[in-house]
Parts: sequence; structure tokens; C-alpha cells
Amino acid sequence: MEKGYILQGDVIVIHRDLTDLDFFVRDFLTILKKHSDYLIVSGFVSIASGRTRGTEDVDLLMPIMDKIKFTAFFQDLTNNGFWCYQGDSSEELYPYIKDLQSIRFARVNEMFPNMEVIPITEKRKAKYFEFTHPQKMKIHNFEFKVPPLEFEILYKELILKGKKDLDDAKHLRTFFATILKKERFKEYEPIIRAELS
Amino acid sequence: MNDLDYVQLYAEKMREDNTLFKQQKKLIEAQLRGSSSLFGKMFSQNFKVQAREYLRKRGLL
Repeated sequence: MEKGYILQGDVIVIHRDLTDLDFFVRDFLTILKKHSDYLIVSGFVSIASGRTRGTEDVDLLMPIMDKIKFTAFFQDLTNNGFWCYQGDSSEELYPYIKDLQSIRFARVNEMFPNMEVIPITEKRKAKYFEFTHPQKMKIHNFEFKVPPLEFEILYKELILKGKKDLDDAKHLRTFFATILKKERFKEYEPIIRAELS
Repeated sequence: MNDLDYVQLYAEKMREDNTLFKQQKKLIEAQLRGSSSLFGKMFSQNFKVQAREYLRKRGLL
């Protein structure tokens, strides 16, 4: 028996085995990282750290990219066994990216899990803030970036506020109780509240 | 015990004892297998076409 996690430098190491959901995220990120930076947000952050609930999608922030870069990214995904809900060509899909609308990818012949790719720019201030202040999380040799935990908790409590989100926030507050920092909650709260105005 | 208390209790135990992750892995993977089997059967003719039709009907596309 071990603790659920340890903090190793600036990396949160979760002591558990990889799940099929982790393999899906890892395989997607292996492709994405060749083309872009990213941040995993929302439900997967809680599930990766032990929240026991079902999920259908994983949310990922990606800075907006030009059409040439997006085409290369899309081709790489389709060459490696992913399909997109919204279309089969970069011609069809790029307008979504340009308009900052999400698109979803799953493995060929699967609906779930899917990766919801959320394009962002600096204008989406809260999202851009979390994107530029990543927290590293690691499960065995799978390392990925998530928002600061305090930011993720407050975002769920103040913006999303659904039952599932409040339960996720409760899980994160409890599971990570020994490493959460009060000053960060104070720093992040106005940034998140600005989303409401 | 309400739902939030259960969430808190489970998170507290999991923080101290990582063997509880085994149950979580089972649940996640059972859900993914169930979903894969269900949609595989539902969309066996032409997966992408039928999946998109399903998503449109539910206002998800």
C-alpha cells in the first residue's frame, strides 16, 4: 500500500496503474504534441486523480493554429486511427477552429471516449491563464499538463457548478488537501469571477 | 450519508491507500467496454455515417 500521490519537484505523481482512458489520452497527446501545445482540463483532471465516475469526453485546450498547421495535425490524427465527429477534411473542420468552436475526435469505429479540442486565444482570459500556468501530472511514464489544482477547483465551483462539477471539486479539494495553497485560491478567484461579468 | 460526503470519504481513503485505484480502473474500463460494444452494434453498417446521424438527432452536431 502506498499513498495516492506524491509531489516530486513540481510534478504530481499519481500512484496507480494506467487505464484504457489514459491510453486514449496518451495516444492523442503523442500526436498533438508534434503540432501544438495543450492543456487537459475539467473531468479528466479529477478522474486522473481518482474520482470514480464514468466519463465520455476529455477536454483539451489548444491555442488556435493556422490552416496549414491544422491540416498537418488533422492528417496525422487520421493516419493514426482517429476520426472527427464534425467532418472528414481540414476544409470542413478549419472553420470550427477559426471560430473558436470545439471539435471532437475518437478512435476509428468508436464513439467514446472522445477528445474535445477547444481552440483558445489570449482573448479567452481565464482559459488562457490556466493554459499558461500548467501543472504537470504523471502516472507511470505518462506525463501531461493540467491547470493549477486551485484554479480547476474554483472553476468548477464558481463557473460550472453542476452536481458532477461540485463533486469533482470536492474530490480534488480532499484528495490534494495537503498540497493546495490558500494564496493561490485568492490569486485565482478574481480571474475566474471575471468570466461571470 | 449524502453524495458529497461519500466523495469526500472516498478521496480521503484514496489519498492514503492507492489500492483503491484498482476499483476505479475496473469501473472506467467496464464503462468504456460497454459503450464500445453498444455503439459498435448500433452503427455496424457504416459507423461514421450512422454515428453522425445519431449525434445530429441529439443536437450534438
